[in-house]
Amino acid sequence: MGDLLSGFADALTPGNLLWAFIGVTIGTAVGVLPGIGPALTVALLLPVTFRLEPAAALIMFAGIYYGGMYGGSTTSILLNTPGESASVATALEGNKMARAGRGAAALATAALGSFVAGTIGTIALSVAAPVVADIAVNFGPPEYVALMAVAFVTVSALLGPSLLKGGASLVIGATIGLVGIDTQTGQARLAFGMPSLLDGIDVVIVVVALFALGETFAHLIAGTGDSRVEPLRGQPMLSRADFRRSWPAWLRGTALGFPIGSLPAGGADVPTFLSYSLEKRLSKHRDEFGHGAIEGVAGPEAANNAAAAGVLVPLLTIGLPTSATAAVILTAFQSYGLQPGPQLFSESGELVWALIASLYIGNVLLLVLNLPLARAWVRLLTIPAYGIYAGVLVFACLGAFAAGGTVADLIVLTVLGLIGLLMREAGVPVAPAVVGLILAPLAEQQLRRALALSEGDWSTLVSSPLTVVLWLVVLLALVAPPALAFARRRSTGRDKQSVG
Amino acid sequence: MTDIEEGRPVPETPELAHREARAAGALGVLMILGAVVVLIDAARLRDSDEALGPAAAPTLMGVLLGVLGGALAFQSRRFLRTPQEGKRRLWRLTALVVVLIAFALLLPVMGYVVSSAGLFAGAALLLGAPHPARVVAYGWTLAVVVFLVFDVLIGLSLPTGPWGF
Repeated sequence: MGDLLSGFADALTPGNLLWAFIGVTIGTAVGVLPGIGPALTVALLLPVTFRLEPAAALIMFAGIYYGGMYGGSTTSILLNTPGESASVATALEGNKMARAGRGAAALATAALGSFVAGTIGTIALSVAAPVVADIAVNFGPPEYVALMAVAFVTVSALLGPSLLKGGASLVIGATIGLVGIDTQTGQARLAFGMPSLLDGIDVVIVVVALFALGETFAHLIAGTGDSRVEPLRGQPMLSRADFRRSWPAWLRGTALGFPIGSLPAGGADVPTFLSYSLEKRLSKHRDEFGHGAIEGVAGPEAANNAAAAGVLVPLLTIGLPTSATAAVILTAFQSYGLQPGPQLFSESGELVWALIASLYIGNVLLLVLNLPLARAWVRLLTIPAYGIYAGVLVFACLGAFAAGGTVADLIVLTVLGLIGLLMREAGVPVAPAVVGLILAPLAEQQLRRALALSEGDWSTLVSSPLTVVLWLVVLLALVAPPALAFARRRSTGRDKQSVG
Repeated sequence: MTDIEEGRPVPETPELAHREARAAGALGVLMILGAVVVLIDAARLRDSDEALGPAAAPTLMGVLLGVLGGALAFQSRRFLRTPQEGKRRLWRLTALVVVLIAFALLLPVMGYVVSSAGLFAGAALLLGAPHPARVVAYGWTLAVVVFLVFDVLIGLSLPTGPWGF
């Protein structure tokens, strides 16, 4: 508790408050733009924080992260273009509400729900993280290898329409992650003699290419797909009846979101869909679902924000990113010279607690800033598509150049953007690729370390009870979905081909 | 379970599903080609005395790329030989890629502001902007603002042309 208080003391200085404020504002402004989810917001704005000192950079970064999440939900509701799969559930009912002229109420319940869930999630994070870090101190390389295997399998299975497509994405990302000098033997892998590839391809470049360029290219190919911005009438406020329907949904969403998000497994967007179906089942207004039911916005949005706080638990304590956004955050930490993991709390405790404190502050700022300013954000949505995407390209190139610093990085960006386009067209999700890119090199390192310690004895991988359990989870996650699908197909008797 | 699947964007028309399957097939073929490159690169690495040498991970990735790519291509084999995308779309995509590469090559020569203004204008026009003059003005403004904020204020050194910006 004392740590957290001193974190607040660090974060509440006027200078740091200003960084938090700037972070929240630009995070929201960029997150509002259609097709830009939190992962891309964070990646695009990362260069902004490069030149700040670590504490200020982390605080601004926390603001950008939460701001991007908030901005994304505004777009999902008013424009029905969720920037990532975690906002899809919000868009389901939210956009229906906006079409029925209830956009203001939808925005309000999303903002308040995000605030409630974000606050509870951050409190849970500050309680859980030190405990998990204490446990994780005892983890050796075999435990890390098993944990990463769980993350690989669950990310492939849960972040995509099918294990095949999710796995394809993961392997593409992991292959990109191989590029560069092998740390153990000093040999260049997949560098093809290009000097700028020797250090590997920067994560920011890959994220920006797969998300931003892929999206821009897809828009170019699809032609000017007209998307309708729903007008916003009145101030975002909740009527008494709306509030009464919203708050239980917020709490239920939070209760689903944080625990699932904090598992060291992929699928931080799963609780949003679980929350949606739970609200649908529990609601007294079930007939409203599909036509704009406020619980259907409140629950998933709260689940999304609570999961976003939960994802930070494995990230900060084990160094294990389980979503695309977390993968980018890990890169950000590394660029500030911090290595997430059990040692983070003991070695850079001050910085971590300042970050956690600024998550609380960012949450409050967002609430204060966004409800009155909702109209200004909505105006951003009326920028024509060509302006938004051309601007995104300019910022994407800026980000890539800032991260890499050479012309070759911009060429790499373009090539990866084309791969991103092909993946998008093929219905292959790009988020697992980002996780694979970050995790695969870490997994290789831990596996080699484990085998070096055991002098080549592979049985070290299942030497402790925890590792055995984790490998069983891997096996289950691989076998269960196809088996379930097979069983369901037999029981329904339909032999029609399933989509995807 | 169905509620979870409901949220996933599913191709709406047979035409879109067809297009998606064709793209999946193309991606599968690309992955197989990538697998060959990765495996050749892995074979060239010198082995070390570790239990797991530097070639182990690339070899595994190469095999996985090949297997998953093969599965994707096999799933959509029926669609691979059908007629191609509209020519105009591909032409526009090629043009944007050319703009991006031109930006990359001109950046050190012409400086950040001029190249970025050009990138913005080129991309916006390809994306269907109606007023060329206005787009150029927007592009200049954006590039100048970015340069002022990032180079002058934040201190990220961006390339300058012969004219110093």
